[in-house]
Amino acid sequence: MLCCREISDQASDHIDGLGSAGVRLQVGMHLLLCRHCRRFMRQMRLTVAALRTRYEEPLSAGRAAELASAAMAMSPVPDNIKEE
Amino acid sequence: MFSLSDAELNRLRDGDPVLFTELVQYYHPRLVNFAGTYVGDRWSEEVVQDAWISVYKHLSGFAGRSQLSTWLYSIVRNAALSRLRKERRYRSLAEMARDENGGGAETWLESQFDERGRWLQAPQGWGTATAAAVLEEEELQSCIDRAIGRLSPLQQSVLIMRDQQQMALQDICNILEISYSNARVLLHRARLSVREAIELHLEGNECSVVGK
Repeated sequence: MLCCREISDQASDHIDGLGSAGVRLQVGMHLLLCRHCRRFMRQMRLTVAALRTRYEEPLSAGRAAELASAAMAMSPVPDNIKEE
Repeated sequence: MFSLSDAELNRLRDGDPVLFTELVQYYHPRLVNFAGTYVGDRWSEEVVQDAWISVYKHLSGFAGRSQLSTWLYSIVRNAALSRLRKERRYRSLAEMARDENGGGAETWLESQFDERGRWLQAPQGWGTATAAAVLEEEELQSCIDRAIGRLSPLQQSVLIMRDQQQMALQDICNILEISYSNARVLLHRARLSVREAIELHLEGNECSVVGK
């Protein structure tokens, strides 16, 4: 049986659905029995949810056109340089 | 999500200005945010503007073996590292990795358990806080921004790419040239730091004390 410290170590993997099935099962069983860890896991989920709803300010079409034009003007003919 | 059909990708390789502008419009803010984790806000815009020149120049060489996004992020990463070298502020990945030891939030979390690994006391309740409520509260948002700003560059990169931009962890590893397990550790530590910032804020503390 995993201890609470180990559950906290596994929190991100658990939220992301990573890790082995065995570990995920052990985490799930611990969460059933431990309300402190359930609270911690809820808070980690909320943290990730808050981060996922952040976003960069969208770029206006006009500014995108300016940037693209500037890049194209500096390099009018694309080279045939290979990707790594 | 920016996706192109094979035909569109071919047109982009040929330098189609409309598609290239759409590419810039979608990725520019994301890449500026990413570049900022290396060079800060001062140079991030400039680094990405320079990277677009390189992207356009090399488009025809993009063979599609990696995802277009991975290719773009790699170009921006190289541009950011070049800029750091130019400014003599370059720190190798090995140096950055050394800085990952003993992250503040993890140290804080360690102190919450007894010798058998059980909680010494219950984690503080967050009331009825939801992600939407967190987002609506401006002060908390700036607190999260500051918490992210205090993370190491690698932690910031992984957190922004994974949670904010929702990229696959394997793609992040390819771009940052780090192992999968390292990326998982970096992501976890970064999330712990942000979680602690939220907790301190909800308890009514100044978020500047996070990680101390």
